[in-house]
Amino acid sequence: MNGKLLMRGLLVVVVVATCAFWAFPLADSIQLGLDLRGGIHLMLEVLTDDALRAEAQKDVDSLVRELDEQGAPGVAGAVESPIRFRLTGLSADRDELLPGILEETMPSWVFRRNGEDVIFDRRADEVSNIRELAINQALQTIRNRVDEFGVAEPVIQRQGLGSNRLVVQLPGVDDPERVKNLIKNTAFLEFRLAEYPPNGGAAVDTQEILGQYGGTLPDHLEIVAQDQRDSDGNVIGQGYYALEKRPVITGRDLKTARPGLGQFQEPVVNFSLTHEGAGIFEDWTGANIGRPLAIVLDGRVQSAPTIEGRISDSGVIRGNFSQQEVEDLATVLRSGALPAGIEYLEQRSVGPSLGQDSIDQGTRAFAYGIGLVLVAMLVVYRGSGINAMVALVLNFVLVFGVLAYFGASLTLPGIAGLILTIGMAVDANVLVFERIREELHNGRTVKASVVSGFGKAWSSILDANLTTLIAAFFLINFGTGAIRGFAVTLTVGILASVFTAVFNSRLLFDLLLSRPGRVERLSI
Amino acid sequence: MEFFRNTSFDFMRLRRVFLGLSTIVVVASLGFIFSRQLNLGIDFAGGTQMIVRFAEPPDVQELRGLLENAGIENASIQSFGTVEDNSVILRTPTAEDGAEESAVRVEEMLQQRFNVGVSGFDLNRQGTEALASLLLEADPDDQRSSGDDIAAREHYRRAAAEVMEHRRNEGLIRDWTEIEPSEALSAAAVAAIRERASFGNFAVLSSDNVLPQIGSELRRKGLLAIGFSLTGILAYIWFRFELRFGIGALVALAHDVAVCLGLFAFAGYEFNLTTVAAFLTVIGYSVNDSVVVFDRVRENLRRNRRESLVEVLNRSLNQTLSRTALTSGTTLLAVGSLFFLGGDVIRGFSFLLLVGVLIGTYSSIYVASPIVLIWESSWGREQREKRATAA
Repeated sequence: MNGKLLMRGLLVVVVVATCAFWAFPLADSIQLGLDLRGGIHLMLEVLTDDALRAEAQKDVDSLVRELDEQGAPGVAGAVESPIRFRLTGLSADRDELLPGILEETMPSWVFRRNGEDVIFDRRADEVSNIRELAINQALQTIRNRVDEFGVAEPVIQRQGLGSNRLVVQLPGVDDPERVKNLIKNTAFLEFRLAEYPPNGGAAVDTQEILGQYGGTLPDHLEIVAQDQRDSDGNVIGQGYYALEKRPVITGRDLKTARPGLGQFQEPVVNFSLTHEGAGIFEDWTGANIGRPLAIVLDGRVQSAPTIEGRISDSGVIRGNFSQQEVEDLATVLRSGALPAGIEYLEQRSVGPSLGQDSIDQGTRAFAYGIGLVLVAMLVVYRGSGINAMVALVLNFVLVFGVLAYFGASLTLPGIAGLILTIGMAVDANVLVFERIREELHNGRTVKASVVSGFGKAWSSILDANLTTLIAAFFLINFGTGAIRGFAVTLTVGILASVFTAVFNSRLLFDLLLSRPGRVERLSI
Repeated sequence: MEFFRNTSFDFMRLRRVFLGLSTIVVVASLGFIFSRQLNLGIDFAGGTQMIVRFAEPPDVQELRGLLENAGIENASIQSFGTVEDNSVILRTPTAEDGAEESAVRVEEMLQQRFNVGVSGFDLNRQGTEALASLLLEADPDDQRSSGDDIAAREHYRRAAAEVMEHRRNEGLIRDWTEIEPSEALSAAAVAAIRERASFGNFAVLSSDNVLPQIGSELRRKGLLAIGFSLTGILAYIWFRFELRFGIGALVALAHDVAVCLGLFAFAGYEFNLTTVAAFLTVIGYSVNDSVVVFDRVRENLRRNRRESLVEVLNRSLNQTLSRTALTSGTTLLAVGSLFFLGGDVIRGFSFLLLVGVLIGTYSSIYVASPIVLIWESSWGREQREKRATAA
């Protein structure tokens, strides 16, 4: 055996050994895609307009308050679009107040007078800042929630730069509805004083409340509903409260929230407050002993207990919750509120049994495919068929090795891609073997036939595989999830097949021919 | 074993017959595509798709009626998998009130029809986490007295996972005997589950919702991917071969695409993301076959300049025949096992691959080469020269 042959042998051994090292054991090294192991795939859009509107509303409120303090009362503001609000009731001669206030507290707005009204527009750069912030905050919040849920290997990422879409993939999760609600829950928690009814218990309708205030609600109040439930937790009606608009504290003041048991062994959420929040809460509860405090979640009253004493840094949220509800509520409260609503654009959930079926069917198809092809190659090429067989087996070692190395996950279309490469992988062998046969028929020696067979087949191998590679390349770039899996396995499979057919098969022939003495016959 | 040793079929003699045949098939395919329309899956059309398994064999007709009564229009229902699977796949277009709602409505309808008298926690419709919560609340193993709810929850999560593992094989729990105590699942826990839970008569194996806006985006992306691939492949052929071969490969490719789509439309399989993948593969494969033949033609043309193009084409086709047959054969074996054993989830995908390989092989012989001849005799160099001297 000459040195060159030895080097080539070493190269093949090293490549195959490396890939084998990466690939085995298969069960640990190859990640299964969601369609095979079961799980949930979500694509959602962060409705950043919500965040802009909320920010605008905050600014409107503070502007109206500021104008009032500076001697321009009776001004009203209304948010007209996420980036615009309109101020009415400000006489034109008081416009000179605006630049100072804007510069001081809300520099991202520009205003222009429009007849009786003043129109405020948010600067474009600030608009994109707020959107960006909302998306990043949503991403973080969702990540926190999913982490709480205890999912192994979740994927939570933004879909492309500058996009307001997020992709969430949760392998192995079999509760799609619950996860969807958990993620979507805005979880905006407020503690607000209930002015009416004054001693706990909800009003039966809004008329009762309005009657208390002579038909119109004072400006600082608003009516908020509560679901009335029976003992099984079914909603049987609505109750109403007149709450102060301004919350005492909100979810932002929470330090922790945990599920726990209340005094009647009913599920509740225990919370504790941050230092700052605790200070506010202590003063406020101290001053309002005997009055009801409404706990409002996403615009609905959960409960309105009467304040029995000064509460400083911890408390309990009660509200006819089930065990599952308190767990989810504690989770979303800990993870923080979403800055904006979200909408699900795409949801795919696969249960474990369907995934298992796919694995079984895919494996069976793979086994039969590879078996049939091997038999065919052995029948047609006899001794050289063994060569093709070795190439095919090594081909899969290489493919699995590369897939494992890049951490690509195997999907059902991915398995299909593998099966397809079985057929295509032998193509390179076939091209070479056919050429060798031809050369042998033309009366050449075995050695010359092998050399010229490989030489002449090369151009066809290259052309034939490149065209498929081009298609696979665009597929990888286009593909989402499962499709990409297919394109990746196809690409890797093609590259590996060229390597095994050209390098490894050639090596096997050369080894055969390097034996001393003249080789008279080749089993092909 | 050698099948085609030194063959000398005169493939080109029948070229007009086969070209005529191909033309008819292509026209018929285009007719199918336009008249029957492609059966667009939810990936491209938007909507909801669910695979539901029942405890008893489902009556597809009845389900169809139920969906209509529930106000879910234009739904399609087919049985899924083998008969023993008791499963259907159902698809509904996006409802006015959003895709999420139609899945909920379908489930509600099934609940009313199939789970009469089933109350409480449904083991076939709830997941691991929900069952863990249920167990935590019941606390059969007295885990909460220690005061560590997190550890207690983890304990019951393992127990719940054990129960749900039974759904992995069958997809559906039918009988309490299936749930037996084990290391993670105490007898007390089983008793608590039996007391509080029941199992309904159906389970949702998978559920997909795609909003129409995403569907149209995916449609655009899919078309782009196909367009770019075609352009890329053509650019490569143009670069590697003379124009006439490029034209031959291109026409063969168009032929394959049209016929495959036509057969696909005829068979009524759903056109979705994975089908696009199969489609692109067929494109790659189709060109691959033609290219191998043309490679040989080019080589033979270089070696023997006196032979006519017809002779060279025939000889090259014969020389590559063995390879063509073998490669198609092995690929068909592989793709065939995918089609017959790979299951319903990718049936459309493997169907397309199967017919794609067959048609690609045929076209590399009877479409690509004849087109080269036609091109050559009408616009080729000799003709141009003749015309030039005549003029």
